Amino acid sequence: MRTAFDLVVVGAGPAGGEAAIAAARAGLATCLVDEGPAPGGQVWRAPRTASARGSGPDADRRGGDDLRARLAASGATILQGAQVWDARPGFTLSIVGPDGASLLSAPRVVLATGATEHVAPFPGWTVPGVFGLAAATTLMKSQGTLPGRRIAVAGQGPLLVAVASKAIALGLRPVVVIDRNGIRDWSRAAPGFARDPAAMARGLGWIGRLAAARVPYRARSEIVGVDGTDTVRGIVVRPLDGGAERRFDVDTLYVGDGLAPADELLRLLGAAQESDPLQGPRAVCDADRRSSVPGLYVAGDGAGIRGAQSAAAAGRIAGLAAARDHGALTDPAFDAASRAPRRKLWRLARFADASCRLMRMPEASLDRIADQTILCRCEDVTAGEFRAAIADGARDLGQAKHFTRLGMGPCQGRMCLHAAAHLMRRETGALGDLRPTPRAPVRPVELGALIGTYDYDDIPVPKAAPL
Amino acid sequence: MKGRHYDLAVIGGGIHGGSVALFAARGGMDVILLERGALAREASGSNAGTLTMQMTRAALIPYALKAHEMWVKAPDWLGHDVGVVACDGLSLAFTEAEERLLTERAEARSAAGAPIRLVTPDEARGIEPGIGPGVRMASHCPIDGYANAYLTGLAYRRALREAGVRIREYTPVTGVRDAAGGFEINTASETIHAAQVVFTGGVWIEPMLAWLGVHLPIRTLVNQLSVTERMAPVMRTVLGIASGLLSLKQFPHGTVVIGGGWQGEGTRETGRHVTTHDSTVGNARLAVHALPALANGRIVRSWTGFEAETADALPAVGPVPGHPGAWVSGSVHSGYTSAPYIGRCLAQAILGAEPEMPLFPIDRLLPDAPDPRNGPLP
Repeated sequence: MRTAFDLVVVGAGPAGGEAAIAAARAGLATCLVDEGPAPGGQVWRAPRTASARGSGPDADRRGGDDLRARLAASGATILQGAQVWDARPGFTLSIVGPDGASLLSAPRVVLATGATEHVAPFPGWTVPGVFGLAAATTLMKSQGTLPGRRIAVAGQGPLLVAVASKAIALGLRPVVVIDRNGIRDWSRAAPGFARDPAAMARGLGWIGRLAAARVPYRARSEIVGVDGTDTVRGIVVRPLDGGAERRFDVDTLYVGDGLAPADELLRLLGAAQESDPLQGPRAVCDADRRSSVPGLYVAGDGAGIRGAQSAAAAGRIAGLAAARDHGALTDPAFDAASRAPRRKLWRLARFADASCRLMRMPEASLDRIADQTILCRCEDVTAGEFRAAIADGARDLGQAKHFTRLGMGPCQGRMCLHAAAHLMRRETGALGDLRPTPRAPVRPVELGALIGTYDYDDIPVPKAAPL
Repeated sequence: MKGRHYDLAVIGGGIHGGSVALFAARGGMDVILLERGALAREASGSNAGTLTMQMTRAALIPYALKAHEMWVKAPDWLGHDVGVVACDGLSLAFTEAEERLLTERAEARSAAGAPIRLVTPDEARGIEPGIGPGVRMASHCPIDGYANAYLTGLAYRRALREAGVRIREYTPVTGVRDAAGGFEINTASETIHAAQVVFTGGVWIEPMLAWLGVHLPIRTLVNQLSVTERMAPVMRTVLGIASGLLSLKQFPHGTVVIGGGWQGEGTRETGRHVTTHDSTVGNARLAVHALPALANGRIVRSWTGFEAETADALPAVGPVPGHPGAWVSGSVHSGYTSAPYIGRCLAQAILGAEPEMPLFPIDRLLPDAPDPRNGPLP
């Protein structure tokens, strides 16, 4: 296979897919790398089972099918099931796929790496039977199913309503929906949502379905804890504005507190980010999606949370900008082609802001994390142990990691570092990005896959150390 | 500006600086430890933690043996746990050339006092059942083991505090000069006076000594390591190969650390260092060749750290010529293993006593000195 391209796009969701299509159509030798089995990313994930295919196409399925068809016709080289585990400026991307480790090189790269879901830790959030909202949508899209008989859906933002409503469509009426936001928060979001009438109509449809099914709805409430250690037996819910706690018998909990950019590759390549109260750590980029690293473009939620439609528009601009910078598009052609996605981005800005506002990490809840609550689920580090590390002198998360093993497990801190950073800022007054140095591999890499097939004599063993 | 006066200022808060500061303070000195970042965050906190004789230079074996004993008893003298596990060590040979190398090295280290003996593949398999099928010979040492290097900073911080050492973290020293009664040490915010000073800055001892006009060339190695997620037990020894370019160990919590001095990229000037694709893949291949069960493991993180090396790859530990009261300690090949003991010896010298074992004075490495590779140590 060819390994040198004009452009490599990482991630085949709406942003990466559109970037690859735009660049390939403009004539760039384009490679789209994606870890999933088919293009679409998380939001436009392709169905994998008969029941998922049979559920009837919704807007996300139609978006994905359209993207997959246009990608297939675009002329871009598409590598599915391939994981990018390291990257160097210039650019060299380390890939691991079914055939072992290999390198892709290109003078330009578009990063479209998507988002990671956050959960504000509460006692019992690591009990089997507690799932993320994003995981729920993934399961419903690819498998057409959702585990559980008596489910609760909790958290915040559009995903909360989407999961609860789609569960009903699968015949799984939630026992209760627990929303950190209240009716007033949603009303405030309405003008922003109106910027995307189709999405707004879809959202209203979800709410209508919940109302029709008479699903109990707890506004301005959060989970206090899960009852059960090996399985979920129930949850306890508390109103945020005071009032009695209430227990619900459920066997499965879906919970999510918003999204954060999956920015590992971005950080590994040294691209600048700035803190943004709505978008998370947002990639610094110009209007054409050029990051602070020459030749590196960013689009989609990985560059700052904006949602699928904005991601597609930004991806298209990034692909066109890469083509223009490569000399494949004239300035007038670039201006003409990027006009529509630019308008779309502008139109959707308030929509994205409204969504993100509903998904803001609940800082007051983070402040309340009890000492015995697990903060790092991979290594079972509690908030109390983490606070003790701060008392022992830890002043950044790399150091706290050494003291406690927080963030040393398979997820490398994706799940815990946001909450940990908040606690550390609160207790030490520390500023800036407290996260540990970004390192390869971006996601865990199986040694057996990494090494491929080889002879011992071919291992380039360096010169022996001195005796 | 008049600052506080100390008996000893230690510049560099890694394991060398920490050990010297600890033993000097316990010897009765008023000690300040200055560190640009936080304690043990560079090489001392990011190395593989191997406490092995089989990757130690023959000349350092007597020191490493003493240090190994200290590591095993860390709770006794350091007062805190760094997760030390003592176990067998095996070094493997997969080719004829490696058999020759292994034989030669085992003999030299054994002559220096390490209880290393050559064993057959079957004997090796009795010690470590999981080793790969291609093993032709192994050398076995019952004195081996590892520490949890990332706990170094926490353990030393507590011990240093208890010993009364004044710890100044996030305090870069901007210059040191000779002054009446000792040395004047400048930071961004104050001037500190100390009767004696010791430079323990790892690869940065070269720019540190330049403050006193002494030029000690130090080579910067960029060693890289990888760690797997927790696995069911796959090994019980520290495993290496004849050339010294592999080290494998499984920690009690299940992670396996893969190292051996494969080189990443980086410079001392930028302080930045990264792994390379080829070293990660090469090191992984060697690891799986030595221990096939590792193929099922997943690497969750690779990282790099600087190692300092002098022209003759032997330590720079001793007085700074021409500047009475100034000392240096670093570039101790396999420095993590030997550091506590070397730090104790240096502290003895700083306290005015005869060190238990000889230091490694740097005169041999200075530009006017004869080429150290041409003759024995002074």
